[in-house]
Amino acid sequence: MTVLLPFKENSELTMGVELELQLVDLQNFNLAMESKDLMRRLSEVSHTGEIKPEITQAMIEINSSVHLSYAALLNELQQLRDLLTEEARQTHIGICGGGAHPFQKWDEQRIYPLERFASLSEQYGYLAKQFTVFGQHIHIACANGDDALYLCHAFARYIPHFIVLSAASPFHQGIDTSFDCSRLAVISAFPLSGTPPWLATWEEFTLYYEKMSRLSIVKSMKDFYWDVRPKPEYGTIEIRIGDTPLTVNKAAQLAAYAQMLARYLLAHRNEVSQDIYLAYFTNRFRAARYGFDAELIDPFHELHISVNKDILSTCQQLEEHAAALGSEEALELIHNDVLNRDNGANWLRSRYSELHSLSDIVRAQVNFWSG
Amino acid sequence: MINLPLHMGSTALFALIILLGLIGGELAGKIRFLPKIFGYIAVGFLIGPGAFNWVDFSILGQTRLFIDISLGLILFEIGRYLDFSWLRYDRYLLPMSLAESGLTFILLFAALLILGLSWLTAALSATIAVVTSPAVLIMVTHDLDTHGPVTRRVLTLTSLNNLFGLIIFTALLPFAQTSITPLPEILGHITYDLLGAIILALIMFVVTLLLARLTGKNNERQFVLLVGMTVLAISLARMFQLSTMLTLFIFGMFARNLDSHHYLSDVNFGAVARFFLIFLFVLTGIYLQPRGIWQETLAVITFIAIRFVGKSIGVFLFAKISRLTQQQAWSTSLALIPMAGVALGMSFMLTNLNPELGTLLVTIVSAALAILNLIGPIIAQWAFLKAGEAKS
Repeated sequence: MTVLLPFKENSELTMGVELELQLVDLQNFNLAMESKDLMRRLSEVSHTGEIKPEITQAMIEINSSVHLSYAALLNELQQLRDLLTEEARQTHIGICGGGAHPFQKWDEQRIYPLERFASLSEQYGYLAKQFTVFGQHIHIACANGDDALYLCHAFARYIPHFIVLSAASPFHQGIDTSFDCSRLAVISAFPLSGTPPWLATWEEFTLYYEKMSRLSIVKSMKDFYWDVRPKPEYGTIEIRIGDTPLTVNKAAQLAAYAQMLARYLLAHRNEVSQDIYLAYFTNRFRAARYGFDAELIDPFHELHISVNKDILSTCQQLEEHAAALGSEEALELIHNDVLNRDNGANWLRSRYSELHSLSDIVRAQVNFWSG
Repeated sequence: MINLPLHMGSTALFALIILLGLIGGELAGKIRFLPKIFGYIAVGFLIGPGAFNWVDFSILGQTRLFIDISLGLILFEIGRYLDFSWLRYDRYLLPMSLAESGLTFILLFAALLILGLSWLTAALSATIAVVTSPAVLIMVTHDLDTHGPVTRRVLTLTSLNNLFGLIIFTALLPFAQTSITPLPEILGHITYDLLGAIILALIMFVVTLLLARLTGKNNERQFVLLVGMTVLAISLARMFQLSTMLTLFIFGMFARNLDSHHYLSDVNFGAVARFFLIFLFVLTGIYLQPRGIWQETLAVITFIAIRFVGKSIGVFLFAKISRLTQQQAWSTSLALIPMAGVALGMSFMLTNLNPELGTLLVTIVSAALAILNLIGPIIAQWAFLKAGEAKS
């Protein structure tokens, strides 16, 4: 049995970002299974943050440092992007964002040679290779475990916002899926995906974890693939729902949006009831399927509301928090994205209508990512 | 009573060669360390004059068109691997290629001169040695499903050394033609051969682009377009007495680098390429002449050893600055060893033009080929496996 680590207490509402990125062969724009060599090259140069392998060899993950301000986070992500792009180009591969590669075949992917990934591959069979999808994880620091659990549940109401704003996986396995975010369907196949249990205190959560561990269902918190999960060793909640956006700028804006929301939720301490999960999976599905056209269900007021209006009204509520955090620019950009219906999925579909070729879309993605 | 060797129509011969090759390849593939190419070549050797003599060298004349198509497709394909954008970002890739090609040429040329060969035979032999077999590498990388930095580097270095080899060979060839003697006439021929190949390739490329705009980016239609244009380019090159190999290489290179609006898809020749590659490897086996190993032992051993040393030094000179690991540098050096197909094509061209010079050269090159044909694909396969880039 493993023991849950104590929740690290953070006094400031800091944030950090993890981005899973695609490695692309610049000859045919299919995925390039070269993370091992790229990791070696990156280990020879100094950089901030962390760069890690992911489950299959065409994936790489970059982690930012911890930041209080949007500007600092954006600056670091841009530096990491430039470094990665330069190093990848030297070995003739490209890097890009997006939640799924448009035409890679999952059965061609190779598991990264690490014990943990080999064990996941053994455990999940073909799902491990299908897991070659690319997400953004946003960490928001919390004062304690109880706050973390409160935020995990309170954020459930806003999960569709993150799905719609980050959606960048309309094409998958060679077809237009008709979804804005097809990546979520892949994640939903895992038995420990979904939402955290309805527990309000860290003490209860610790007992829950220990029971799950005793039952040999999990060995660590990493085994929970929830959309939002607490991360005790960092003292954060981790919002894992979004696709990796097509640019680091969008990734930084989404992190700032999460930070503003956390500040708003902690300031208002709205009462959260279990009913929040009544419409959760329906809303999650609609956001992934219809993007900006999604109609969300409000289980408390028994209303339907368009996701566009919901984000715009949330933006209004967040204005004072944006000002307090120095994130006005990020909030304005998100506001404009909603007005212009501008997300990665729409950008990719629009490129496809011009180029009529999935490989040319990836070429455009690589150029767009490199800024 | 059937008289041996068999004489049959070229189409039947072509079919027989492919089918026997296929069987040989599948049998070789059952043995862990043997690549399928080994089986194709072994079948060729067994049915050829070297063993059972079921088919003889007259097959070369009968199947010349198929040889040209096979070599043309391979050269087009390897030309398409040459991506100038990578040369811009990795500033040491072109120097590495120049070093491995240049050292191979210079060292071999000097050694063969010392061994008493004429400057022309030495230069032609050295040129042929520069070239790594694109056919072997395309097939080995395909069969192993290798992807990665070593695979890409090896294919690009192969592409570049084919380009250098073809240019030098085209420039040297008029010197070997007994019918041409005055220098201005020789220079005129060189200019015609080189410029002609470039102009023809450019015309073919422009026509391909125009037709690609018509077909759109549909892989199946573009596949037909590219195969059709490749065969047409081969025919036109033959009609204008230009090097089919150089023309097709440049055509492929233009397709990769001048298609700024990306009208062309990255069409994979796949099954068609395998069809012609099997034919070419079996033919290589039929033509295998190991007797040169005994006749010109020193020249042959010198040829093979210096070729490997030249290529390896060239790779290692720029390995560290290119940030390759030791393993990657060794794998790259070893994977550049295979020599076949194009070398054979070059030898044939020479034999046509100057039978006497061609025969001596063919003796040395064929003997080296006999050895490298057997061990080259095995070494290349091993190199890619050691680099950790193969699927298995």
